[in-house]
Amino acid sequence: MLELMPVVFQQTGMHAALEAQDDDELDGLDFGVIGFDADGLVRRYNALESRLGGFSRERILNTHVFDAVAPCFNNYLVAGRFDSAQEESTVLDDTIDYVLTLKMRPVRVRLRLLASPNHALRYVLVQRLA
Amino acid sequence: MSAQLLETSGEYEALIHFLHIAPVGLVQTDANGEIYMINPLSAQLLLPLCQKGILTNLFTALENVAPDLRHLVASFKKPSGMICDTLRIQLSAASGGKSDPPILALSMLKLDDYRLMIVLNDVTQQVKRERLLRQNEAWLNAIVTGATEYALVSLDSEGRINDWNESIRRLTGFERDAVIGQPYSIFYPVDATTPDRVLDRLHEADESGWSLDDGWRTRADGTRFWGSAMIAPLQPPEEDLVATLAGIRLTEPAYCLVIRDITDKREASENVRKATACDHLTGLTNRRTFFETAEVELARWKRSPRPLTLIIFDTDHFKAVNDRYGHPAGDVVLRHMADTLNATFRECDIVARLGGEEFAVLLPSTGMDAALEGANRLLKLIESQVVLVDGVEIRYTVSGGIAEMASDVTGLDALIKRADKSLYAAKNAGRNRVACWT
Repeated sequence: MLELMPVVFQQTGMHAALEAQDDDELDGLDFGVIGFDADGLVRRYNALESRLGGFSRERILNTHVFDAVAPCFNNYLVAGRFDSAQEESTVLDDTIDYVLTLKMRPVRVRLRLLASPNHALRYVLVQRLA
Repeated sequence: MSAQLLETSGEYEALIHFLHIAPVGLVQTDANGEIYMINPLSAQLLLPLCQKGILTNLFTALENVAPDLRHLVASFKKPSGMICDTLRIQLSAASGGKSDPPILALSMLKLDDYRLMIVLNDVTQQVKRERLLRQNEAWLNAIVTGATEYALVSLDSEGRINDWNESIRRLTGFERDAVIGQPYSIFYPVDATTPDRVLDRLHEADESGWSLDDGWRTRADGTRFWGSAMIAPLQPPEEDLVATLAGIRLTEPAYCLVIRDITDKREASENVRKATACDHLTGLTNRRTFFETAEVELARWKRSPRPLTLIIFDTDHFKAVNDRYGHPAGDVVLRHMADTLNATFRECDIVARLGGEEFAVLLPSTGMDAALEGANRLLKLIESQVVLVDGVEIRYTVSGGIAEMASDVTGLDALIKRADKSLYAAKNAGRNRVACWT
């Protein structure tokens, strides 16, 4: 059987690689994954993100990513980038340093934002910084 | 896991989620603004202000838009209590893009010597509504107050006084011959308005039904009173009671100016204005009010372009002043700078503290040459003066950058950027000088 290379945070071709992974495989990744559809509803939420954020998958799935899951993304730095990619039908693959408020504590993270006209789901990947 | 523990963890998750989605920003910091706890909405509002995505200190995050937070906390002497209640903070100017200029409201509660609790709210829309409401209120106020303290003045399409009545003499002491044919600015102190501004107010009255401003007015003998002036366009007499009362026949646009002496209310209204529109440390116009007023001036420019310049000043090596003489001395220097700015520029110029040691002056109806002259006058004054703090003499200098409004400037942000770039040029050229955008 063909052994797949593990998916790492900074790798190229990330969007397609995530789409190829099933939910169990996403759970095995060492960074957080939030995948949401064109309406902003969360469709994928991996185990690490659930553990860091302190929320069960049941609470998060099918809720709105910027309203109920990550209100801190609802500004031009994150939501704005997804909006422009949508409006201009362009590929978004940006990595930015950010602060999440995991369990109300400020935590420095690196975010990778993915959107593409070729994929239905958009992703925010979250890697904790030391 | 026992059933009870499970229930508790579910409750814990619900509680975290409640804080997580709260549509209001909540932050807890130590006395120096270092963040202990913060909810997502705070991060949403604050991160766009942060360099390189680092958000560890609230005061640092807000330094450029609310420079006096540290000062507010430091000067609050009570062991606990509300340090500020819904303080308005202007984040940036509208850049002609999608959104309105965002305005935050910040409340800060001191829990004890080590802990501050901060509540943040986006109040941009609310501020807009309040502004309209204030105008309505002022309008009603003007109508219902007793008629004896009015001067009722009729103006032609150019803002010249075209009729005489007793109320003008009663309020201002002017005689008929001294006012007929004169612009209504004769009731204003010399540098408090400009010929452009005289016309601006007529246009604004056409657009919104009235134009209102409070401020110093002058009598015939040169003495001042605090007056409220309202200009309203006149409709043909049969349609408009005010015009009928004034007995005017109309052939072209004409206006009614009502001036009230509200000197007795000045203290109260000025206290309110100072609390909301002025910087605590220097008493200058604060950042939020600067953006609000400058946007009005830019709208006037767009309707009828005329010279309009912006100067940004920055005190040179201010950090060194603070390091060498201490922050209280730095504060004295900032206040001295503010006083010198006020002494140098006109009453109709907007003199503001934008943040830290950065100041802005917006000069209506003033071109590059005159702005440069004013800026250089300020530099000379600052350079030649000594600030005394506890017997220690401090000398400092200032650099300035000037930009003039032009058709290729998209908005206030762009104008500020040009002035900022000129300021950097002045700094790079050796400081204590002014550079102009060309």
